[in-house]
Amino acid sequence: MSFISNLAIPAVILIIVLSGFIKGIPVFDVFLEGAKEGAMSAFNVLPVMVGIIAAVSILNASGLITILSNLLTKPLSLIGIPPETIPVLLVRPFSGSASLGLFSQQIKAYGPDSYIGRVLSTIMGSSETVLYTLAIYFGATNAKDTRHAIPASLISSYLGMIAAIYICKVL
Amino acid sequence: MLNFIWVIMIFAGIVTGVLTGRTKEISDAILESCVNSVELVITMLGAMCLWTGLMKVAKKSGLVDSLAKLLKGVFKFLFPSIPAGHPANSAIAMSISADLLGLGNAATPLGIAAMKELSSLNNDSALASNAMVMFGVINAACIQLIPSTVMVLRQQAGSADAASVMPCIWIASLVSAVSGVIAAKLFERKSPERRI
Repeated sequence: MSFISNLAIPAVILIIVLSGFIKGIPVFDVFLEGAKEGAMSAFNVLPVMVGIIAAVSILNASGLITILSNLLTKPLSLIGIPPETIPVLLVRPFSGSASLGLFSQQIKAYGPDSYIGRVLSTIMGSSETVLYTLAIYFGATNAKDTRHAIPASLISSYLGMIAAIYICKVL
Repeated sequence: MLNFIWVIMIFAGIVTGVLTGRTKEISDAILESCVNSVELVITMLGAMCLWTGLMKVAKKSGLVDSLAKLLKGVFKFLFPSIPAGHPANSAIAMSISADLLGLGNAATPLGIAAMKELSSLNNDSALASNAMVMFGVINAACIQLIPSTVMVLRQQAGSADAASVMPCIWIASLVSAVSGVIAAKLFERKSPERRI
């Protein structure tokens, strides 16, 4: 499996460069043209990143997540959501680094092949840092009003994560 | 929406921090976050250049167009407003294939490029189009065939079979993507593209 994932990037690059060369395109000149555009959009994204990451780190440092997970333990365990997964469920859509940190601590604590370990792995593998992804993508455009992008993504994210909890019970 | 969420996050964080006496941690975190975001952008900068550069080559060589042709049917359903043959089609095709392959750093710049194409179709308006929202939702649903980061972390934690959760991950991703598409389509009807 790791062979395939290691091969993916080199293979894609090779295919692109070769097909350009075969078509007789000045490959490097065209590459530079695109690379310049890439650099520009990276800088456009910087202010968005500063804003989002600052807000997320305030939340993380405040201890609010721990308080919230303690509050939610009882109601959520009624519908079969294991309390061990609640911190990750809360953090995942908002902070990539915080959820990865939590995840790596917890799979060591519970064991990667235990039920909790498998649920956490599934949650991490099948979900994205919603807020950050949307902020970056929309931040590169003029669209200030993202309409239903955030609510729809959060619904999709939470349905996927809750599905993960039940799928791991069956599979 | 972000205007609202941003204030809530900051407000909730700071009030809790003051009540629990974690103000020092918060001040440190704020200062640190500025450094972190610059670091992140600098780290991304190289990948952005590399992948948008390669993307341009792929576009000119016609590679992307053939990819877009393969995905035509799906696109018609998800993004009905994009005219056939528009560069946005190929940009989205590239971005989604990078997502599927789990190219991580490559997927973000390609996604940004696709979003910019969609935005230009929308006359760079301040109000996002249905297609832009749909594309954002699909990306936020994280469709990934090879979740490499999770696999590596599982291995490090001493898993006997790190890849054993892959089928679970695929099904959960599918649930997430399908519900995202349905949610986006339903919301589309509720809040029209253009305000009067």
